[in-house]
Amino acid sequence: MTLKEKIDSNHFIVCGEIGPPKSCDGDVIREKSKYFKGVVDAVDITDNQTALVRLSSIASAKILLEEGVEPIMQMTCRDRNRIAMQSDLLGAALGIRNVLCLTDDQPEAKGVFDLDSTQLIATADRMNSGFLLSNQEMKKAPEFLIGAAANPFAEPFEMRVIRLFKKVNSGARFIQTQPVFNLEIFTRWMEKIVEMGLHEKCAILPGIMPVKSEKALLHMKKEVPGVKINDEYIDRMKAAHDPKEEGIKIAVEMIHTLRKIKGVRGIHLMPVMWESITPVIVKEAGLGNPTSS
Amino acid sequence: MSFDFITYGKPPISPRERKLSRVILFFEDVVKVPLFGCQHCGECILSSTAFICSQRCPKRMRNGPCGGTGEGGTCEVYPERKCVWYRIYYRSKLLHRMSLLLPIKKIHNWNLEGTSAWLNVFKKRIEAPIWFVRHDQQKVKDFISGDTQRKN
Repeated sequence: MTLKEKIDSNHFIVCGEIGPPKSCDGDVIREKSKYFKGVVDAVDITDNQTALVRLSSIASAKILLEEGVEPIMQMTCRDRNRIAMQSDLLGAALGIRNVLCLTDDQPEAKGVFDLDSTQLIATADRMNSGFLLSNQEMKKAPEFLIGAAANPFAEPFEMRVIRLFKKVNSGARFIQTQPVFNLEIFTRWMEKIVEMGLHEKCAILPGIMPVKSEKALLHMKKEVPGVKINDEYIDRMKAAHDPKEEGIKIAVEMIHTLRKIKGVRGIHLMPVMWESITPVIVKEAGLGNPTSS
Repeated sequence: MSFDFITYGKPPISPRERKLSRVILFFEDVVKVPLFGCQHCGECILSSTAFICSQRCPKRMRNGPCGGTGEGGTCEVYPERKCVWYRIYYRSKLLHRMSLLLPIKKIHNWNLEGTSAWLNVFKKRIEAPIWFVRHDQQKVKDFISGDTQRKN
């Protein structure tokens, strides 16, 4: 079953995430993909995240396809203009079925930002209907499942709901959020979405980030803009004898709590630099084993 | 079939019109630069962003803030600045112009960069500004429930 079919049915979706290496070593991705194969439904391939050069997301997604894992290719507006973006999308369409459209952050390099994420989603949606932005008709249209990102924790709160509404309106079918470490805001955000009926038009997959140490949480709180982390979790990590064990426990608890919230259709696991933990968390959370092929 | 979410910039700008555009742009700048910090995108959406120029955003976001707005609305790229979309949101709320934030803004036509938006409105390349919004809350509700899919 593909991710598209799973989203159409009532399947609880589990997504993983792999960051490509900072070298031309494809084996790193093959190695990492082992932790995800048969465990999660699809795996995100990040596109030069945090504006550092990494192996291309299209090539990495292709490796995942060869390994039998369904990739979700991320595509950012930071590095490409509309021509490169459409051309890359067409190239990706040869095998990759899922794209996640992002705007992404700005490096020292000249940011392109020809389109923003909402417009990129709309572009991909038009390409699905068989037309390029220039109005030319394609002989064969791609069939993308378009995803988008959302950050419920950045301010202003209500604007986040409006932004999601725009993204869904332009054609996003699934939404991945920033890691949830503040349930109060997330619940409030979800309530708004259910009130607007957006949860029926798209699958919302809140982010879960298992952390190894208190330091990782503090680093996120300080360095990553727009992320809110409750002190409760920092204190728990600090007090724990075995921080890794506690990190897993927090992630599993979070999955259980999020599952009960109305409108949540799955989760998006982001084990940054700790891919090996994915099978453990999926097993401990009792998410069964999805058939990923 | 033409898409309603991209600016095609038609009719095309003739060389003569570019000269005229520069003259008009001079007067436009007198108003728009000191008041709004105009970035000369030539495709003005000031009226739908509560008269704060969205193009001052380092990422030139036309459709709302990125995910990096920090505590108290600070910009992700320049932490000493305030996020323009943070300001747009609060001023739209104050001026009851929330319904204008909902439609998807068109993809920018870079041919229009550095031309006069006033002339472009006159030539119907871009949409005319919306000065007054009545029954804002009702319009927001209608838009969300999909009764009037009005694109901007």
